[in-house]
Amino acid sequence: MTSPQNETVLTIVAHEDVHLAIARLRDGWGDAYQKKAAVVRLSRADLEKLGLKDNARVELTGPAGAVVVTAKSDVTCEAGLSLMPSSLYTNRLGSYEPSSSTLPGKHIGARVMPTEKHITAVSDLIVRRNRA
Amino acid sequence: MSSKTLVCTGCGCLCDDVQVEINGAHLGQIENACAKGAAYLQAAFNPELRAKGSIRGRSCSSEAAVDEAARLLSKAKRHLIFGLDNSTLEAQALAIEMARGFGTVIDDASSFSYGPLIEGILKKDLPTCSLSEVKDKADLLLYWGANPTATHPRHLSKYTYYAYAEFNPAGWYPKVTLSSIDVRQTELTTMSQPTFRIKPRGDLELISGLLGESPAATDQSKQLSELVKKSHFCAMFCGLGLVHSIGGDFSAFTRMVQLLSQSIRVAVIPMIAETNMLGFTQSLHKQTSYVNQVSFADGVSHGREFSILEQVDHQAADCILVVGSDPFSALPQSLMSRLQGVDIICLDHFSTLTTGTADIVIPSAVPGVECRGSMVRLDGDGVALAEPIKDGFPTQEAILRQLLEKAQP
Repeated sequence: MTSPQNETVLTIVAHEDVHLAIARLRDGWGDAYQKKAAVVRLSRADLEKLGLKDNARVELTGPAGAVVVTAKSDVTCEAGLSLMPSSLYTNRLGSYEPSSSTLPGKHIGARVMPTEKHITAVSDLIVRRNRA
Repeated sequence: MSSKTLVCTGCGCLCDDVQVEINGAHLGQIENACAKGAAYLQAAFNPELRAKGSIRGRSCSSEAAVDEAARLLSKAKRHLIFGLDNSTLEAQALAIEMARGFGTVIDDASSFSYGPLIEGILKKDLPTCSLSEVKDKADLLLYWGANPTATHPRHLSKYTYYAYAEFNPAGWYPKVTLSSIDVRQTELTTMSQPTFRIKPRGDLELISGLLGESPAATDQSKQLSELVKKSHFCAMFCGLGLVHSIGGDFSAFTRMVQLLSQSIRVAVIPMIAETNMLGFTQSLHKQTSYVNQVSFADGVSHGREFSILEQVDHQAADCILVVGSDPFSALPQSLMSRLQGVDIICLDHFSTLTTGTADIVIPSAVPGVECRGSMVRLDGDGVALAEPIKDGFPTQEAILRQLLEKAQP
């Protein structure tokens, strides 16, 4: 039996989620949105590689930032791939690359680490701006 | 209690058979709408979810917000007008007129999504057709990088697969082949037969195989090629999965469609989520020959430097007018955090992250619910919005007209 790894690198596929869209229309950026958005779905193999059980918390670190979300096992997910609904969470991870004519939000390379930290709150993902 | 039929402006499908019961200012039963459309209509009737007039975070009347917006627009030297993909054609026309009058940059979300695909369709490099032509006539429905069950919940039931009148002899499945290409399993891929599960960014390999350009064509591309070539009329519904996978470069895709069109009929329809992106891009294209990323500073110029992404990245604008769009929730936070000290004016019907951070918020009417107007559905068909079912805020068209009158370029 191999010992769990401290981290692994995965490609996150961000996708539209109708339930998340409905939650945002009904409740704005509240708890329902956070519950549905702060989730990454991994293959059973990747979850076991990290020594994690369903609903464990993981920290995802992408090119532009990091978030803490809930990891869930997904039998439809291939090893090396993970799934997340497109949201403020995926927008925190991806960065704009001037050479690309599309946004980086669909396929994001990210480091995944088990963590005891709290789930990142939606309020921490909102851009604060100094008004002119 | 009165019953009304309206056009749902909750997504690009613009379903025109949604029935609602209205009791004064309250929304009663909703029929025919999908869950997303129903949530959208309910939000339109929920004052807590609607945008409110404000100047730098302080509540104000719409009139005061318009006056202050006009002052900021007059003061600014480098404007950017962004959004408009959920606005009526009438509001879009005024925004383009304003951009021309002010000599500003104008752009929309097609700039980082469907722009190249729409351009190919408008320039007739890619064949298309209306959804009414697809139903009962196309014998292959191919969803490519698209999952309508998440983005356009009634697409299959109102316009394509389940809308077919004829069924196979067993009386169970519609008489059409439903196929899909995706990187993951979705509700659609489980219904599709066959389905092509590809690796992320594997679309180009599939296209190359279909073109015969790949020396070692994969089994998948051979199977897809056979499937498409044995059909008579293939409707391809292209989603953001395809757009992002090929980095917005549709040259190989266009060659593939043109090659296939030599032997069968192919129609390409973008799965645009916004209600009127096609309307905006068509209008701008008609006036400038470009679908987005246009500057009127010196005649008509076009280029990536006029995309919202580059404008924000380079802090090129000192005043941004956002119309019916929420870039603060859609774009990377690392990019949007660069907008410190820039005047942002936002016209919207809903409270969004952009209205939450804008200097000026001007609330506007919900198209199809509080105002009439025209839109262009994702397949290019024009749709007239029905009589408003609710009184409310001024239209975006009226607000833009006031800004045009009051602001001095």
